[in-house]
Amino acid sequence: MLINILSYACIACGIVFWYWGTWPLVGNRSLLFKLHSLSVADTLGSMAIIIGLLLQISHEWPLLVLALIALAVWNTTLGYVLAYCSSDANHPIVPLTRAEDEA
Amino acid sequence: MNGLIITMVIATLIPIYEAWQDDDIWQKLLAFASIATKTSIMILVISVLRDDWMIGVVGVLILSVGNAALMLLAQVLKRVNESY
Repeated sequence: MLINILSYACIACGIVFWYWGTWPLVGNRSLLFKLHSLSVADTLGSMAIIIGLLLQISHEWPLLVLALIALAVWNTTLGYVLAYCSSDANHPIVPLTRAEDEA
Repeated sequence: MNGLIITMVIATLIPIYEAWQDDDIWQKLLAFASIATKTSIMILVISVLRDDWMIGVVGVLILSVGNAALMLLAQVLKRVNESY
């Protein structure tokens, strides 16, 4: 019973994270702001949902732990790669340090 | 549990709308990455709901290899932007 409540609390927490992080995607903020909130929501929120599922059905833990690890590793790497690739094209971050080097 | 799936589908509609209405290619890519993660988590929830682990394996496969394709796509886009 207690585990059931804990599991639903985790899943609800994850869904709240999803909405919190996905909502800024619609507005007119910068790409990096959207990327940050989206990667927080998609990584932490989805991990909370999977932990909730893990509490719900614990006999299939290898699959769910694999999903947790894949989320933690690949989503953060994807966030970094997207930030790196997009910042070079239109929104340069690097010139600040270059200007410091020249000065 | 059915209400859970409906809430998750509504959350997935937000990045779908963003990918449809925004012309900037990076914002589209961001929205697609979000759709991929959310869909695979929904697949996992459905597999627990139905107690069917063949579906769960598909969700975990998407989570573990799906992002690699998006990273490759981002690199290709960067090269294409540089060449123009």
